[in-house]
Amino acid sequence: MKYKIADIIVDFDVLHPHLGNQIKDYVYDGNEKTNLHVRFTDQFYEDLRKYYPNLSDDTLEYMYLGGEFYSTLVYFNGMMLHSSCVVYNNRAYLFSAPSGTGKSTHTQLWLKRFPGSYILNDDKPAIRLSKNGIFVYGTPFSGKTNLQQNKRVPIGGICVLERAETNSITRVSTEDAIFALLNQTIRPYKEDELDKIMNTIDILVREVPVYRLKCNMETEAAEVAYNGMKGNTDNEN
Amino acid sequence: MKTKKGFMLRKVADKNVVVPIGQASVDFNGIINLNDTGAFLWSILSKGCTYDELVSSVLSEYDVNEDIAKHDIDVFLKTARDADVIED
Repeated sequence: MKYKIADIIVDFDVLHPHLGNQIKDYVYDGNEKTNLHVRFTDQFYEDLRKYYPNLSDDTLEYMYLGGEFYSTLVYFNGMMLHSSCVVYNNRAYLFSAPSGTGKSTHTQLWLKRFPGSYILNDDKPAIRLSKNGIFVYGTPFSGKTNLQQNKRVPIGGICVLERAETNSITRVSTEDAIFALLNQTIRPYKEDELDKIMNTIDILVREVPVYRLKCNMETEAAEVAYNGMKGNTDNEN
Repeated sequence: MKTKKGFMLRKVADKNVVVPIGQASVDFNGIINLNDTGAFLWSILSKGCTYDELVSSVLSEYDVNEDIAKHDIDVFLKTARDADVIED
């Protein structure tokens, strides 16, 4: 079946419920040509089961179709950022950190504090550069939860999240921004894919402010984050 | 001596960064930031060279006396060897 994810047309056979439920809103019945066609063979699954004996076919399907999608995204001036992405006032704010730091916990504070805000993708939003600006897309690959929407939103800012006693936000250096982005995406094995990602990062760190947020779990953390980031949303779309 | 296989030198937003690729990215989880001189040394080293060739490359590129050039190269090589990104 065809799906349209981040304006990329994919043709997947989704057989299992995890991805099956999350990808429903992305079904595509138009005539644009398919950009990515994936069919996993029985042999492929059999090999994976040997390699990951503790993972279900449901999880393997979710992981590997996600991997195929995000590898393709790289060729469309895009990249995945491992982050929780919240939208407020039509701007997408991405909070990135290693697993377990509290990305989702932080963006949930936004939902509490800012009525009308919503989660675009709670784990792996897609960023794409285009002539009209830089956009963040919801994708069906949102981790264990189904917190994602099939929408495209202008980017507001990117934030590296760290836990702390008190809340504060600062811009990071260009070097730190490059590292932060490269460190929380899928590092490709192939040189040309890495080259594409570096081209995307080159534009991103020039155009999009990257911050470091030190935060606790009070709603004040959401206020500090928003007040620090909102002033720089000048890429009107 | 030569930079280890699997590192890509790139200019990103006017910064020189070296990024590991393939197997190297498994062993080296990070990026290397270089100033312009560091990037120059890296690009010479990436093709493979002797110490003396590196010194003469620097002397022909930069207006600097040989002792200072050697000192700066030594500092660079020590840092790079400590990071385990150069092989002899």
